[in-house]
Amino acid sequence: MNFLSLFARNLRRGPYTEAFPFGPAKTPEHLRARITFDPKQCEGCRLCEKVCPAGAIRFTRTPGGMTFDCWHATCVFCGTCEFYCPTKAVKQSNDWHLAHAQGEKYAQVEHGLIPNQICVECGAKALDTAPAVSHIKPPLSAEEVTELRARCPKCRNKYLRSRKTS
Amino acid sequence: MTFINRLKDFAVKSPWLYRINGGSCNGCDVELATTACIPRYDVERLGCQYCGSPRHADIVLITGPLTRRVLDAARRVYDEIPDPKVTVAVGVCPISGGIFRESYAVCAPIDQYFPVDVNVPGCPPRPPAIIEGVAKAIAIWRQRL
Repeated sequence: MNFLSLFARNLRRGPYTEAFPFGPAKTPEHLRARITFDPKQCEGCRLCEKVCPAGAIRFTRTPGGMTFDCWHATCVFCGTCEFYCPTKAVKQSNDWHLAHAQGEKYAQVEHGLIPNQICVECGAKALDTAPAVSHIKPPLSAEEVTELRARCPKCRNKYLRSRKTS
Repeated sequence: MTFINRLKDFAVKSPWLYRINGGSCNGCDVELATTACIPRYDVERLGCQYCGSPRHADIVLITGPLTRRVLDAARRVYDEIPDPKVTVAVGVCPISGGIFRESYAVCAPIDQYFPVDVNVPGCPPRPPAIIEGVAKAIAIWRQRL
């Protein structure tokens, strides 16, 4: 009886083996795999670079701004960068298709550029980072955030101080 | 010529795998065992089989950051594998060193010592990722035959 029920169940369910690589692969939704980076949301605090245990993340100042690079061949998928990122600009996707030929080894990089901008108030050149607004009370409105974003760090502080007094 | 090509197509259906543990933490080795042993993944669908002797191997899977102590032994075992062979680096340690990078005790990355063909990053890589890497290695092996 036990055998027959097993037999019937196996007939109903089909093969247990995953079809990959001959068919689509099953991927858990919350699998921790390839790091993704959104330069629009990045605050430029470089906390992810500091906490990365494998040293996979590196920020570099370039004439065009600040670049973010995460080398997937060193990343250990620990998720510490995502945990510490205040704006969730660094995220872990569930894309695990990372196997590559040796020639592409150094091209396995997640690259992002935080560009420079000209401050609308003082005209200084500064990075176009997302302003750190999570701790500010009362919370900023969307227009205020865009106004704040267009400024350099010094003018952002000035803007926030004036907002507090007014 | 066509006969030789047909023979090559026949041979490419059953590449044998050989594992070299270059001082690995055993995470990748467990995943390699999972890839072959449990029916959910089953690398033997690709005709692959783990063999006990390096002399029978076609595809060699290297795990671990290649510690200094194991370097000499790994090189000797690697030289015993007959050509043409395809080398697959499994896990981030052999590819770049991973968290052991820049340590005095490891010789990572291993492409300083072995001609690596396919890299499978991950710490450890998922069994489907290893199967993907092995499938790429088989394609390279077909060109080498």
